[in-house]
Amino acid sequence: MRSQADPYASDAVPPWLALITGAMVVAMLYLTFVWVPMEASMGVVQRIFYFHVPSAFVAFTAFTIGGVASIRFLARRESRFDDLSVSANEVGLLFAIVNLVTGSLWAKPIWGVWWAWDARLTTMLLLALIYVAYLILRQSVVEPTQRAVVCAVVSIFGMVDIPIVYMANQWWRTQHPAPVLSGEGSLDPRMRFVLYFSFAALLFVFWCLVRMRRRIEHIRRDMDALRREVHAL
Amino acid sequence: MGENLKWLWAAFGIGWALHVLYVFLLASRQKSLRNEMRQLRAQLEERDHDGGEPLLG
Repeated sequence: MRSQADPYASDAVPPWLALITGAMVVAMLYLTFVWVPMEASMGVVQRIFYFHVPSAFVAFTAFTIGGVASIRFLARRESRFDDLSVSANEVGLLFAIVNLVTGSLWAKPIWGVWWAWDARLTTMLLLALIYVAYLILRQSVVEPTQRAVVCAVVSIFGMVDIPIVYMANQWWRTQHPAPVLSGEGSLDPRMRFVLYFSFAALLFVFWCLVRMRRRIEHIRRDMDALRREVHAL
Repeated sequence: MGENLKWLWAAFGIGWALHVLYVFLLASRQKSLRNEMRQLRAQLEERDHDGGEPLLG
């Protein structure tokens, strides 16, 4: 039972979470701009790496959470899984867009072009477009159960695309660098630390945003019920 | 270094601006949903005061 004062208080971002997230983001910016050593060949522009790569990791995590929640929704038909799925997918799309934009801003000074139609970039763009389609579909299907089922299928389809994006620069020849964590590339331990720290900081940001987004979904669900009640009279 | 620094600032600036924009978008969606809900509740209350007469049609 929700309290009378604010029925959605349990969905709010708790102060401790907001505080930790803020501190993590400030620390991430300090580590990126001040602490981490300068990369030898690209110089200062390489620091985009500590925002660009973790944003992709968070997007993959978000789409995986969205996909798993969709599978659970299809199995159990509980609306909370649909709420989690749409929230994670929408916030995941934000991180995917940040990844594409920061990648483009990194490519321009290094490759001399804003965009290259190579495998990694194209598959990442396709992944983002799948979730744009997912959100459009969500707006266009009116009946709630049908909407949740159709969107769950698209969400699972999107999740299946993640390994293709990740492996794209190993399966096909691309301009994009090979994976630095699992591939043949070596990463300075301090650079590796900042990369992991940034990933953790962005995961906290993701957590806050998902809570905020899920709150909207709960209000919308209650409002749909209220609207049905009004129209039934 | 100075030439490349602008790309770094642009990447972080635009990236975080997108996050802030999204938070504002969420706040605005929440506000509009709450307003709509208030109106629906008012309609229901009005109907209760009128002794259960139909609201619509």
